Amino acid sequence: MLSLSLEGVVVRFPDLAEPALDLPGLEVAAGSSVAVTGPSGAGKSTFINVVTGLERPSAGRVLWSGEDIARLSEAARDRWRARNVGLVMQDFHLFPGLSAIENVLLPARFRHIRLPAGLRDRAVALLVEVGIDAGARGIETFSRGEMQRVAIARALLLQPGVIVADEPTASLDGQSGAAVCALLTRLARAAGATLIVVTHDPALYGRLDRRIALAGGRRADALHAEAS
Amino acid sequence: MIRFVLADLRLHALGAVVIVLLIASATALGMAVRIEERALRLGSARAADRFDLVVGAAGSETQLVLSSVFLQPAPLTLLNGDVLRRLSEDPRVEFAAPVGFGDSFLGYPIVGTTAEFVESLGLAEGAPERPLASMGEAIVGAGVRLDAGYEIRPMHGLPGQEAEEHDEIVYRVTGRLAPTSTPWDRAILVPIEGVWKAHEHGDEADDEAGHDDDHEDHGAEAAAARLGPPWPDDLPGVPAIIVKPRTIANAYQLRGEYRTETTLAVFPGEVLTRLYSTLGDARQILTAIAIGTQALAAAAVLLVAMAHLAQRRRQIGALRAFGAPRVAVFGVVWAELLLVVGLGVACGVLLGYAGAKILAIGLSRQSGIHLPVTLEASDLGFAAVLLAVAAAIAALPAIYAYRQSPAAALRS
Repeated sequence: MLSLSLEGVVVRFPDLAEPALDLPGLEVAAGSSVAVTGPSGAGKSTFINVVTGLERPSAGRVLWSGEDIARLSEAARDRWRARNVGLVMQDFHLFPGLSAIENVLLPARFRHIRLPAGLRDRAVALLVEVGIDAGARGIETFSRGEMQRVAIARALLLQPGVIVADEPTASLDGQSGAAVCALLTRLARAAGATLIVVTHDPALYGRLDRRIALAGGRRADALHAEAS
Repeated sequence: MIRFVLADLRLHALGAVVIVLLIASATALGMAVRIEERALRLGSARAADRFDLVVGAAGSETQLVLSSVFLQPAPLTLLNGDVLRRLSEDPRVEFAAPVGFGDSFLGYPIVGTTAEFVESLGLAEGAPERPLASMGEAIVGAGVRLDAGYEIRPMHGLPGQEAEEHDEIVYRVTGRLAPTSTPWDRAILVPIEGVWKAHEHGDEADDEAGHDDDHEDHGAEAAAARLGPPWPDDLPGVPAIIVKPRTIANAYQLRGEYRTETTLAVFPGEVLTRLYSTLGDARQILTAIAIGTQALAAAAVLLVAMAHLAQRRRQIGALRAFGAPRVAVFGVVWAELLLVVGLGVACGVLLGYAGAKILAIGLSRQSGIHLPVTLEASDLGFAAVLLAVAAAIAALPAIYAYRQSPAAALRS
């Protein structure tokens, strides 16, 4: 499990006067779970890109258990992300033409020429855990709820220290969304991973330890945050 | 990784097949031009191999070679009969064989010549020990579909022309030549005296060699009594004489001596070389067309690859988000293109070879020249160059994918 500490993080885009993200300080304890909420354009996606190392901030430090990923090269951030982050995204990003198990194993295949021993067994076990039977059928035949559960299994495969989910329930119906909520929080807790979820879904953020509200790239919950 | 590539290709199987076919046809065109041109060059050079020196009346060297070596129908000016006699009595000459054209049968050219020359071409098994021993005998080329004993009534005129039947002479097939892989495989060989006899009346008007009619008649009759050399004093004219000199030095001497105002002596190989350099221009044009086609195919493939990449932008961004290294992203895009292009080039090599083979079979059937269609190391080198160029071009979309920011790709 990893702890997150943002120090003076600012993200600017060339064509915008205001920074897309401006977070002087933010701490997330290792193993805790946080919801990031806010209206569209509040900087939630930028926040995710910065904490996962997909984007480098214009200024500031992004410390994961003391390691500043903002200083790493692009290749090193890719490596770091592969090792430490489990990503779950709104539209799943599963790869058509591959089976559920192949999708779960795909990120590992890009990192290893030969899969490490036991990884395939772990993938099968994870699929059982999320309630998907690992048949050979292509992922495109799955329902949306099933797809997101496969994506959760994929995020957990390499035992990441942090799980980052971007609107994981937004494209699901109520029932599948609830199932995904439950699964995500339960499995993250069981794995001892820090959980950061961007969501509008009250059913989801109600289950998490903390809530960070963003507006216009800034914290909109400073008082609330200090109280927590 | 390769699974990922194959899954994507499976998803776009139809498009991939179209691209493979496009590349295959462009490659095949270039391949076929190379192979066919070489086959034509080798095949005609081999066909000319047996003809050391050809002597004819002054005129076009190329026409002389085409008519005598390749038996292309065309009327040649006749050479004075004295030349034949002089040549066959020359001590530097092993044999000098007249070749007389003008008649055909069932589309096969009838060529009048001597027993010596027939023997030098090589007889197949079952042929008489002394071929063309009498006036009514014919020896057919290996490719002529007439059996021994068949009666040949020559038609006046070259193959493919309006013809009238000669009544005077009937030949009977007595044997067959061994295959020579030259146009002579399609020829019917008869004693030259027969051709003289058939034409001694009909061609007087055309014959501008200035013979005295009485003499010519007399000569033909004398020749009819006894076939082949030594020749009598007053021989009728012949279109061409094939000369086998005893030594190379003799060959050069003879060529020099028989290049006069009225006669022409050529080494067919030399004439062919000159002909090839002319054909070389045609080859260059064909090659340029083939390269143009390949460039168009490359542009089309590049366009499709970029469009496909734009479609996959988010997918590739996601791969990076899941921690795939940039090299892996480059590898995926490059490998997929290379796979398609490689398959296309491989199919193109086979297609080009098969196309050249089919074309060569058709040409051989028409001309009798055997065209040796071969796939050589240099052809595979050519394919390798194509592949290398394709690999370099395929790297462009791969570099584009490599440089793309995953965050930007996912936002799109």
